[in-house]
Amino acid sequence: MSKREREEENAAPFAPRLSHLAPRTSHLGLRKWLSGALFALAGGIGVVALVWPFVRPVSQSGTVGTDLVLTVILLTLCLGVLLVEVQGQAVNAKVVATLGVLVALTAVLRFIENAIPGPGGFSPIFAPIILAGYIFGSRFGFLMGTLTMLVSALITGGVGPWLPYQMFTVGWVGLTAGWLPQLRSARAALLMLVAFGFLWGLLYGVIINLYSWPFIMGQAATSWEDGLGVAEGVQRYAAFYLLTSLVWDVTRGVGTAVLLLVLGLPTMRALTRFQQKLSFTNE
Amino acid sequence: MNKKAISPTLLYSLFITHSAMRYDVRGWMVWLLVTAVLIMVARNPLYTILLLLAVQLVKKRHYQPENQAFQLSLWRFGLVVITLSALFNLLMVPFGQTVLFTLPESWPLIGGAKTMEAALYGASNGLVLVTLLALFMAFNQIVPVSDLVKLMPRALPDVGVVLLVALTYVPETQRHLQQVREAQAIRGQEIRSLRQWRPLILPLLIGGLERAMSLAEAMVARGYGSLQTTRPSIGLQMGLLVGLLAALGGWLAGQYVGWAGWLLLAAGVSLVVALVWAQGQRSVRTVYRPRPWRLADSWLVLAGLSPAVILLFVPNLQLAYTPYPAFTWPPFSIIVGLTLMLVAAPALLPRKL
Repeated sequence: MSKREREEENAAPFAPRLSHLAPRTSHLGLRKWLSGALFALAGGIGVVALVWPFVRPVSQSGTVGTDLVLTVILLTLCLGVLLVEVQGQAVNAKVVATLGVLVALTAVLRFIENAIPGPGGFSPIFAPIILAGYIFGSRFGFLMGTLTMLVSALITGGVGPWLPYQMFTVGWVGLTAGWLPQLRSARAALLMLVAFGFLWGLLYGVIINLYSWPFIMGQAATSWEDGLGVAEGVQRYAAFYLLTSLVWDVTRGVGTAVLLLVLGLPTMRALTRFQQKLSFTNE
Repeated sequence: MNKKAISPTLLYSLFITHSAMRYDVRGWMVWLLVTAVLIMVARNPLYTILLLLAVQLVKKRHYQPENQAFQLSLWRFGLVVITLSALFNLLMVPFGQTVLFTLPESWPLIGGAKTMEAALYGASNGLVLVTLLALFMAFNQIVPVSDLVKLMPRALPDVGVVLLVALTYVPETQRHLQQVREAQAIRGQEIRSLRQWRPLILPLLIGGLERAMSLAEAMVARGYGSLQTTRPSIGLQMGLLVGLLAALGGWLAGQYVGWAGWLLLAAGVSLVVALVWAQGQRSVRTVYRPRPWRLADSWLVLAGLSPAVILLFVPNLQLAYTPYPAFTWPPFSIIVGLTLMLVAAPALLPRKL
């Protein structure tokens, strides 16, 4: 019996002996380190897969087609590993119920996308994910991001090879929102979240574009080539980006920021109150 | 908003499942994966058009009318994608020998000779993209949501429950939104600016959270999560870490040293898959009215696999084609064409079991 378990027993001598059912509390440091390493590695693989078109060496074996298949497989693998990891750490009945309801709410918000006035590219899903990640912690945010994309893909019939990357990226939006410092002043926190939301609105577009670029532009000797210099590759990507999506991304960033600015404070208040009511522990 | 509301038939497809009358979703997955790989590998516009036709045939035969939540005109979208892709490639790519016109060299990025090959290459890439999209649209229209949810890995029981809760609450939330809207409209509240969404969104959020709390209490009262712990063991975490490292290392090394790297990649991927599978075996999942595997499902799997298997035995197989450096008509082999048409084989199977 470890020291900690003994302490727990002393603290509640009449509590039923359920220690064999409770998760093991030993090796906390190692667990934390392993968990961090898993996240870092999965994120790293995501980044490598993204910048791949720029640094790809000249190779005879393997066409772009197989490269794309590999990328999708690796990303799905990373996503699965992270979900297994997060699920084991953060989930109980309260989290399951709250997540389910919030994901449903955000997916419905996506339906009224065209009712909330906004030009193309604007998407209302980032604001609730950022708020939930900030209030309920990074693991909650990660699950909320990935599952929102999954649920809205399921109900709109948008399942496709783009889905793993969307889930992965939006999961990181929620995850990083949980990393932000907890500020005392609600207004300061809101301003921080507004800036954060704007940045992620832009970044999301860049990432999804990088992912879809080889899909759209295809094989070697087109806009990205085998062994093309990094500088030239970046230059071409920049042209592609300016041409196709900068306007959309800016609207997404601005839209998220405006949404947070207008609805952020009361939403934060409601979420914080429920966090206390459900006695979540914020890691 | 009403225009985009989820149709009530989607609701029924979520809950009233006539799963006995449908093919097993795993059979459709085999067809989907094989076809997707073929589309990405066979980069020859003639073959791509064949694949597109085959996919459309299967969709025509098997689509479920209640699944059509997402409507997109494939032909209009396809035309836009192919045109844009051709234009972009024409402007950006300085290769090819058949010069159409020349832009001044001093123009950044787009200056220089513009060739027909570049435009053709862009167009054929656009065609591949449209075909992929058509494939996934067909898949989404054939397989209902309730079957897709069953594909959730068993190692993720809690995530699966979240998914089910969310899917159940989507129609519920929509109804709630409608109620709040009506209540506010009676009070004379109009929605003109973004600020006026506040009295709509907040009751929705707070009401949702209240329901989440009572749901959580009901789950705890029924003993949710009291016996099983899904927390991964340290061994599992380490194994996953090693597997991912091997996969990444193998992927990078495969580009330089060839098969040894690919072997390492395969080992890493299989390690992760095996670990996740083993973790899934630890959680018990019961099924209400389990659906047996039927002969028709085997036929679907066979039909899905057949083009890939036959292509492995075709001598001098040449699937890829590029118009560079000078345009030549893409090669077409009757054998390969007929084999690719086997992608349409599921269209020969009966619509209902």
